[in-house]
Amino acid sequence: MTTRSDLIERASLIAPNSVHLPWVNRVGRWSGWIGAVVLFGWMCHNLDLSVDVLAQGFTKLGNLTKAMLPPFANGAEINILQSLLVTFAMALSGTALAVLLALPLGIAGAKTVIRNSGVHFSIRRTFDVLRAVPVLVWALIMISAFGLGPIAGVIALALADFPHLAKQFAEALENSDARPPQAIIASGGDRLEAVRLGVLPQVIPVMASQSLYTLESNFRHAAILGVVGAGGIGFELQERIRIFAFDQVAWIVLAYVVGVTLLDWISSQIRARLT
Amino acid sequence: MSSAIDQAMDSDRTALSLEQIVADFETERSRHLRRGRLVQLLQILIITALLGGAFQVSGLFSSYLGDGAMGRITDFLGRLLPKLQPDHLFADRATAGSFAFWFYDLNLWVKLLAETVQIAIVATVLGAILALPLSFLAARNLTPALWIYWTVRRTSELVRTLPDIIMALILVAAFGLGPTPGVIALTLGTAASLTKLFAEANEAADIHQLQALQSAGGNWWQQLRFGLIPQVLPNVASYVLLRLEINVGAAAALGIVGAGGIGVELSRAITFTEYDTYFAVLLLIVRLIFLLDLVSEAIRDRLTGTEHAA
Repeated sequence: MTTRSDLIERASLIAPNSVHLPWVNRVGRWSGWIGAVVLFGWMCHNLDLSVDVLAQGFTKLGNLTKAMLPPFANGAEINILQSLLVTFAMALSGTALAVLLALPLGIAGAKTVIRNSGVHFSIRRTFDVLRAVPVLVWALIMISAFGLGPIAGVIALALADFPHLAKQFAEALENSDARPPQAIIASGGDRLEAVRLGVLPQVIPVMASQSLYTLESNFRHAAILGVVGAGGIGFELQERIRIFAFDQVAWIVLAYVVGVTLLDWISSQIRARLT
Repeated sequence: MSSAIDQAMDSDRTALSLEQIVADFETERSRHLRRGRLVQLLQILIITALLGGAFQVSGLFSSYLGDGAMGRITDFLGRLLPKLQPDHLFADRATAGSFAFWFYDLNLWVKLLAETVQIAIVATVLGAILALPLSFLAARNLTPALWIYWTVRRTSELVRTLPDIIMALILVAAFGLGPTPGVIALTLGTAASLTKLFAEANEAADIHQLQALQSAGGNWWQQLRFGLIPQVLPNVASYVLLRLEINVGAAAALGIVGAGGIGVELSRAITFTEYDTYFAVLLLIVRLIFLLDLVSEAIRDRLTGTEHAA
């Protein structure tokens, strides 16, 4: 009957590194972990994340939460729901404009459509650069160009989304099966018929479901844009926070969460049917 | 004998009613097509009405947009560009028209960019640390009880519906201006989304390895540590990196509501109508995000590469 330690001893004789790491590796690994923890602690220090600050903040947050309960709209229900509708309208309009912009660009950016690799590369890199600009940054630009109001938000959403959508559209085209249009051409169809009956049925469900995804995320973004002055629910929210009316803040947040959940549910139903 | 007669009669009947069958098929088909077209028409009408309503509400049809909207945009874009003077591009900060004059507060901006990256890293690490244990509870194959699974999943969904900026806005009221509310908001958002992604990776993992450890006497934690984590680590690491990229973008925007990072300078530049400054900061942000994409892509390639080799 061999004991456990016997077995381990025999194993380490046969393959020394299998049971225990060599000490060099162990020291390396431990110093790596310690270094990472020290770096993390230094970053927390830089960001003022001390226990004091956190304790104070969370006490205050507790008080705010107490003020939030029960949520109370103070007679502004219609007003808030209307601004939720404006936010949805912003999201929908922004998505529609983005899709309009992204369709031709997506087609132009697809490797299978434009075979010149230089053109393809420059179009794709342009999308990459544009994608790096956050939607809030576009919104600040558009608000100073168009003034306060939802129109600035719509254009900001469209500009922020179209490079994402164009990239996804291009990829949908590249990933579509090349054989159905070939089959249509082989059986006597012309190019238009090949695209209409061979390519579109493949890519339209994908593109539509990507557009719906964009609509969902735009509903969230549109709420944010309200904070910087593009109207809608974000504006209402910021106003209530500024006057410390946290029971109304809670009501707005609840209404918003219900709205988002509803939209996500409807959109996922449609997407399930598309594919 | 009888079967042959039956067959003959069958084929006779078929021949007789073939026309009838074709006619039935045609009416059925045209009815089907008509219904399809009706549904399509209805869909188009609904979508048009929705879009028209949305454009109306968001003011795209309002008249003031008509006069010179493009002019306003190009005018604005013109103001974004700095007035550089070719003969003293590399002069010092006091000379108008030099690069140094354009990027007049570069030291502060670099410091704020560093703060932005630190907010993103700290929030990603904290969020991932929170998400890992939660993801075990939120995976259908690992959860100790179904009600725990359900609660964790629904809570993470609820937190995910709230955008980071909205959370930061509320947290700024509690924690005051500065990076702290930004870190907490991003941590919450990261934890919620990573819980979902990690849980899905856990659900896709091979359960046999955990069962082997269980039969060899491993407890719950040992099963997870040696049976599950090695399986999901490459996926988990790439999700964390992806989230880090997202968080850098989010942290750059957080400053607009006063939650620290480079966004503070962005909103200051806009309020003081220093459009060329805005453009300069924007260039720095884009440069930073680009750089980070490259770094994280390299790390991700190495991670997946070594995993394949092992």
